[in-house]
Amino acid sequence: MGLRVDAVSVVTGDHLHTSGRKLADRAIEQALAEAGLAPGAIDLLVNAGIYHDRILGEPALAALIQEDIGANAEDPHEGARGTFSFDVANGAAGALTGLEIADGFLLDGTIDHAVVVASDSDPGHGLAPDFPFDPTAGALVCSRADDDHGILGFRWATSPDAAALRSGVLRFESGHNRLRLHEDDSFADSAAALAAKVAAQLLTDLGMTTSDLTHVAAAPFDVAFLDGLASHLGPAAPTIVRPTSDHRFHTAGLLAALAGAVAAPPSAGGERVLVVAAGAGIVAGAALLTR
Amino acid sequence: MGTNWLMMEQSPDAGHALFGARLASVGRRLPETHRSTDEVMASTTHRTRVDLERLTGIHERRVSVGDDDSYSLALDAARDCLNRWDGNPEQIDLVVCCSITKYRDGLAQWMEPPFSVALADEVGAHHARTFDLSNACAGMLSGVFVANNWVRTGRARTALVVSGEYISQLAVNAAKHVHTIASRELASLTLGDAGAAVIVERAPEGVEGISTVGFTTIAEHSRLCLAYPAKHDAGARMFTKSRALQAAAIADVPIVLQEILDATGLSIEDIDCVIPHQTSARAIRKGMATVGAALGGSPRQPAVVTVDRYGNTASTSHTVALIEELEAGHLVEGDRVALIALASGIELGVVLFTVDAGLLAARPVTAPDEPPGAPAGTSDDAQQEGARHGAQS
Repeated sequence: MGLRVDAVSVVTGDHLHTSGRKLADRAIEQALAEAGLAPGAIDLLVNAGIYHDRILGEPALAALIQEDIGANAEDPHEGARGTFSFDVANGAAGALTGLEIADGFLLDGTIDHAVVVASDSDPGHGLAPDFPFDPTAGALVCSRADDDHGILGFRWATSPDAAALRSGVLRFESGHNRLRLHEDDSFADSAAALAAKVAAQLLTDLGMTTSDLTHVAAAPFDVAFLDGLASHLGPAAPTIVRPTSDHRFHTAGLLAALAGAVAAPPSAGGERVLVVAAGAGIVAGAALLTR
Repeated sequence: MGTNWLMMEQSPDAGHALFGARLASVGRRLPETHRSTDEVMASTTHRTRVDLERLTGIHERRVSVGDDDSYSLALDAARDCLNRWDGNPEQIDLVVCCSITKYRDGLAQWMEPPFSVALADEVGAHHARTFDLSNACAGMLSGVFVANNWVRTGRARTALVVSGEYISQLAVNAAKHVHTIASRELASLTLGDAGAAVIVERAPEGVEGISTVGFTTIAEHSRLCLAYPAKHDAGARMFTKSRALQAAAIADVPIVLQEILDATGLSIEDIDCVIPHQTSARAIRKGMATVGAALGGSPRQPAVVTVDRYGNTASTSHTVALIEELEAGHLVEGDRVALIALASGIELGVVLFTVDAGLLAARPVTAPDEPPGAPAGTSDDAQQEGARHGAQS
């Protein structure tokens, strides 16, 4: 059994709509509508976004999102059920972490539906004067697949020696807290190498090779990483889903890539999508989506 | 008919779980420096006339004076936990860091990379999957929930759940702004620093271990306690509507506790020890009195109170208190313990587990002292005052 993708949606902001939380709300509402589900059907809500309004430290942003979308936000009462929400952080791979957590609870029957949401935006209030990402949110609604389809086989690897290659740190400078994001020129290739390595391990686990795949959905969802990944995966690898604009994604990137893979014309013989992500750390994870 | 509000996992014979899970070891790190409530209140810019010790029962807390940060506290706690475990760090499959504060190198807040990658590397858990989880003061128990699930479903055999909270700096900032007992930053003055770690591992056949975990988020109260980076100071500030938060908690905790009991077929008298989140002695007593009235009974022992010694140490508070109880000899093999999460969100959760010989061996008795749930020294007057105002985060 795997994790069935019921719907995935991506929304982007503009100069008037920059709240990461509100974008997350919209992405979930859109995905729920596509899945034909009411907010109350969500048992688990995992937020994997990192940079959001004012860099809220407490509570989990997921709780605010849960209230916004009206997912069983009220005090416990008979005749209904609750929703559990929390945040995870794993850089650009956070959405994949959220999916694996959801998969665990779906697998043992604890829950029926989960939402993984990831959004980032300039936190405002002068906290991040050089914020590099465009306001974006992605949301994925999932449930338990009763057959062999869905996302399965999560595999992970870390390379802590490369931790300094990408970072986001809030420091007190000249009388103000300032968020500074750094990415070394070598991050994209180092992350791509680790992502390709963990993808190869996953395919070996599953008795597959890159030539068995129909698509690759990968993050960071930017050209430098995707080019590096293509190079490390080798010529037998299939088409890697690519962004259609110069929009700068962060944690929502994997969900945007997945949305692209899901929207692609179906292949004869079914689809086998390599889902692979690498984030600061470096931490990389891979899974397989079959449809 | 009771509620069905918790996202809940039960023993392996329910659902599709393959294995059981147990708490195999616990570790903690407390900073050396003690800071009394008198000292905290003397540091306020304004003359507040608040007797915080009488209001909360907090006599002192441990604080970093720049010698520790969130990362170092988490790392030392993880090492303490691992040193008491009979396994090898290389066997750990999952490391989850659950800190609210992510201060490293002083008051630099690390958004990424996640702490868990560096922690796993430094403790030698080189094969572990890693991620950070944030859920306010319910973070560590939420991490235990995920770890329990991964062990039960065979995704991991052993997990390290860790947190380090260098959170007393919120009190430093709050001290500049608190004017009266009604201040929304008053709860920040109750905070203390600590690191904590727990190992969750597959339970051998016949070991009860973690029997049930259930969590929910009562999100209509999500804006009652909010923390952000400070605008003109290092670190963060936290704004709490304490009375509303306490009222919601007192109304909802008995309901979710009853739901856990209904699911397990237990009564409240079957629980030997309750370790609630440590906010204030008064809030804990009032909450447990409400639970007793609602459930028609009480746990075998009074609720554990360590907030008098350590303050509110955020996500680490349950583990800090559990270790205190183990080292004081208040827990014996077979005792059924309920760890009750109550956090901003509002996050409510219960981890119900049975103490086994392995956990007792990992944390042997070192300081037998007063009976469990010993009073923290609040007077009747203070309790009445607290009932009117509250001081809870």
